[in-house]
Amino acid sequence: MFVGLTEVAVGFQKTLMCVIGGLGDMVWAQWDELRHVAAVIGTILYICVQPRYWVRTVRGAFVRQVVAIGVESVGLVCGMAFFVGITVVVQLEFWVAEAGQSQMLGSLLVAVVARELSPVLIGIIVIVRSGSTMATELGIMKIGGQVHVLNAQGISPFLYLVVPRVLAAAVSTFCLTIVFIFVAFASGYLFGATVGKGSRDLLLLANSVSSAVRPKDMLAILSKSILPAFFAGTSCCIGGLSVSGSLTEVPQATQRALVRSIIGLFVISTVVSFLTYL
Amino acid sequence: MTNESPDILRFHDVTIAPDCEDESGISNLNLSLTPGALAIVLLQNEQVRIRLADAAEGLISPAQGTVTFLGEDWQTMAVNRVSAQRGKIGRVFEDERWLSDLDVDQEITLAQRHHTRRPVKEIEQEATQLCRVFSLAGLPGGRPSNVRRQDLQKAACVRAFLGSPILILLENPTVGLYADVIASLINMVHEARQRGAAVLWTTNELDVWNNPRLYATTRWRMLGLPMRMIKEAKETT
Repeated sequence: MFVGLTEVAVGFQKTLMCVIGGLGDMVWAQWDELRHVAAVIGTILYICVQPRYWVRTVRGAFVRQVVAIGVESVGLVCGMAFFVGITVVVQLEFWVAEAGQSQMLGSLLVAVVARELSPVLIGIIVIVRSGSTMATELGIMKIGGQVHVLNAQGISPFLYLVVPRVLAAAVSTFCLTIVFIFVAFASGYLFGATVGKGSRDLLLLANSVSSAVRPKDMLAILSKSILPAFFAGTSCCIGGLSVSGSLTEVPQATQRALVRSIIGLFVISTVVSFLTYL
Repeated sequence: MTNESPDILRFHDVTIAPDCEDESGISNLNLSLTPGALAIVLLQNEQVRIRLADAAEGLISPAQGTVTFLGEDWQTMAVNRVSAQRGKIGRVFEDERWLSDLDVDQEITLAQRHHTRRPVKEIEQEATQLCRVFSLAGLPGGRPSNVRRQDLQKAACVRAFLGSPILILLENPTVGLYADVIASLINMVHEARQRGAAVLWTTNELDVWNNPRLYATTRWRMLGLPMRMIKEAKETT
């Protein structure tokens, strides 16, 4: 009987060790990946402040990426902001008025729409729309030997492919967030004024919002839009360029990069909120 | 760069391990290209690929030996130096590969725009002249997928000779297009050698190997598996 119990205990211990070991491996793998992404971001930041790396081909690639990630997304972002404005802004205006707390409107709009909702929504749009494109494009380029051609011509793929994409993602995300905030407020005001559910005084709304904005709100919007974009852009570029072998690896690498980027977006947003306001 | 060796490219006892099944390694290769030299390498087995040009550009590390470019070992060069040195090399790739997000004309001029500060117009003018040499109407525009294969092959030659490179690597540049491009290629190679460039031309076409107008300084045959480069006894000068 004791022998049987001992065997069960040993078996349990082995299973437990396997689970702990597996968990440890996973944590180490994630940690290594995080360090890799951090190292790449650090290198990008180091390179981007040195004018000698900004040769005309890199500048051209950066502009093309800003157009692809930022300018071409403006329509989609405006459309989303329009609907968010109608639903969220009008709701807030209405319920704040109902509760007799109209003086809170500006603070609530800034906290909910500008500070929390906009960077996350824009982050998701950029990741889904452009992050997937980045990972797929770079994966196909790697498999197709185009990265090799760049290398052979003395053009660093890191400098020509990765740096412009990551920086363009960061710049575009911040600009799109600002566009989103303005369009959401504008559409909310217009809809509310039209259906008679919100304030009709534009100046009152503008004043209420602008007086509620504090420097740390600006800092939060800036960091919540730029940091996740850096992380997502880098993750997607690394994911795409890590493909080696066959084309079937590309969708898998893209999927992994997108999942990592989305998780990164929420974790970074939460951490920034925690650091800024708690 | 040391002044001891005037070689543009030098393989010193180089052994390269194969990367995949359809590739062959190279064993104990000793080859040097001085300014104005032309080495022709005949690959006798069309099914097998060798990465001689990749090794010449320092894109792969030899298992043994050293590859030096202008007296510097690729393996010991700093990263920025490697990029700058590769910018002095023109190459026609074995498998035509073009960047999918650039038009063909942009890609032809890409390396020059990246490595030099020459005005874009000047680069484009030179590229257009080279296009005419290779019987293209002008710089091909549009994405690579919309350009005829033959035109892409000629455009690859234009890309290789643009900017007066000091080393030119030609990997089977005449495949499927021998009659169309051989005369222009020979002229361009001759011109490049006269200004002091070295040329490494690999081919599996006997027409190229036997072409009486190609005055090579050295001729090599690749034999066996892993391949050994056997220097032809008779050298033409």
